[in-house]
Amino acid sequence: MLFYQNLRRDLVKTMQILKLDKKNLNEFIFSLNDFGEVHAPVKKGDKQFVFSKLTDFSKIKLEYTRTILPPKKYFHPPTDTLFKFSQEEGYQSLTEELRKKYVIFGLHPCDIYAIKILDLIFAGEFVDDRYFIRRKNVAIIGLDCIPDDKCFCRSMRADFVEDGFDLFLSDIGNSYLVRVGTGRGDDMVRKTQDLFKEVNKKDITEYKRRSDEKKNLFKVDIELSDLPEIMDLEYESKVWEEIGKECLSCGSCSMVCPTCYCYDVFDEINLDANHGVRKRQWDSCLFKDYALVAGGHNFRAERSLRVKNRFFHKQRGFVAQYGRPSCVGCGRCIEACPAKIDIIEVINRIRGAKL
Amino acid sequence: MVKPKIGIFGLTGCAGEQIMILNCEDQLIDILGAIDIRYFPTAMTKNDEECELDIAFVEGAVVQPKDEELLKKIRQRSKLLIAIGTCAVWGGLPAMRNDVPREEFLEKVYGTKGKSFKSIPAQPLKNFVKVDLSISGCPIEKEQFLKAVASLLHGDLPLLPSYAVCTECKMNEYVCMLVGENKLCLGPITIAGCGARCPGYNIPCHGCRGPVDEANVASEVKILKEKGFTLRDIENRLRSFAAQAEILQEQFKKE
Repeated sequence: MLFYQNLRRDLVKTMQILKLDKKNLNEFIFSLNDFGEVHAPVKKGDKQFVFSKLTDFSKIKLEYTRTILPPKKYFHPPTDTLFKFSQEEGYQSLTEELRKKYVIFGLHPCDIYAIKILDLIFAGEFVDDRYFIRRKNVAIIGLDCIPDDKCFCRSMRADFVEDGFDLFLSDIGNSYLVRVGTGRGDDMVRKTQDLFKEVNKKDITEYKRRSDEKKNLFKVDIELSDLPEIMDLEYESKVWEEIGKECLSCGSCSMVCPTCYCYDVFDEINLDANHGVRKRQWDSCLFKDYALVAGGHNFRAERSLRVKNRFFHKQRGFVAQYGRPSCVGCGRCIEACPAKIDIIEVINRIRGAKL
Repeated sequence: MVKPKIGIFGLTGCAGEQIMILNCEDQLIDILGAIDIRYFPTAMTKNDEECELDIAFVEGAVVQPKDEELLKKIRQRSKLLIAIGTCAVWGGLPAMRNDVPREEFLEKVYGTKGKSFKSIPAQPLKNFVKVDLSISGCPIEKEQFLKAVASLLHGDLPLLPSYAVCTECKMNEYVCMLVGENKLCLGPITIAGCGARCPGYNIPCHGCRGPVDEANVASEVKILKEKGFTLRDIENRLRSFAAQAEILQEQFKKE
């Protein structure tokens, strides 16, 4: 009985918010290796960032803006070999690499929110086992951030997450407030408990000050209320044709979108024409083949229809199905589009706002 | 199973595709186990000039009357004719300046002896014969050739990418040469399949695989002009590998 009470007390005590001094961050991250291969945001080229295996602490970029690809690459990789087949042995699932454990350090709230959205999608009518096995084996450590001129997560109500992480770190100056989100997060903290301190009143005041301050840092905004209705009403708007003329159908926006999940499935046969593999690979509704069916009919042959479909699915179709847009306002599509198609501008144009 | 009879031919070109086929070193034994190569003068001494072929792989552009002659003969003796490489699919580098009279080139390159050569504006195979499948690339990708052979042995046409290089570039998480580095990158309008190899080495896409279907050339040109590139620079790059592509010709006529 006493054991139970102690356990309970400990649990209640640790399922809270602790403090980690910044000078102890490296030691803490090092300890995470026991929970999986640690990946963190590092620089790529002069201006961009990627989540990548951490080999050198000095390479972590804690103040990164956004990575080229979102963390969906860990759960739903660009190309995934599903199973192999042969005439002699039939089908054999390939599940080994799904069990590899990772700790992804430094996810921003929008990216965590996006994973929660992917969870809804892959848990739909047909549960996607490959996604969820990977999901279970990837620990998530969130990190708060300062919005730049492309961030509109606040408009998309994805600037703050209550769950979806094992731990979440909020910067309060010389230290981080560390929110524990799961039992695994609790284990991580316990492993290096000497590094963690109790939160004091000053810390709370500082956290609240920064939280308030952040709200005023957003430079762009979308009005979300009644957007689905307006999109329905403006279904025939000329705006779609205009954007269709600019769009290159290059697929960049879909690839970098943290909630775009479409994939194509195909077989690759070996030279003996007797065995091969089935793969799936990211697809995009902007590709001309996306809605092409047997017999040659294309449901969205025109580029403007494909562009419209992408915006509608994010901001209208998904709302009808799941009660919120599937966009989290991470700004990646704005950054990636060579034609400078900017979702904020598109929505404002549809709304008839003065630009 | 009777092995399908294959011929591998070169018109005017650099033999890059044929070399690429020979470069499939790890798979050559398997390839030879699966197909019966009857004609491949780049690699063999005894070549059958007449037999019927199940599949003919043809490299190079039609640049001389004798290319056209050979191509038509290949078509007659082959069930399937597959264009390999950007020259065969799009005209490639030799078709860069078809607007300049051939005599000028011949004189510049061969001097007075140039008059003894017969040269015609460089063109892709499809301008002369029915092409059943196109595998572009300068040179072709080994994997695409192997995939094509395997699929054909299975009785299917291979599934080749129909999207742009940008898609593969993003999948590989390469730094964008166009948006990020402001380089003259043709990734958005070039057909994928190379794994965005050049952007992976910080080199912008030069479009060596030819344009993607329904390429939005007008938008690409607009983007590049806004970045400060001159129309001359842009068009020179567009002309490099697939100047004869209708979708690019439309652009050249415009301005």
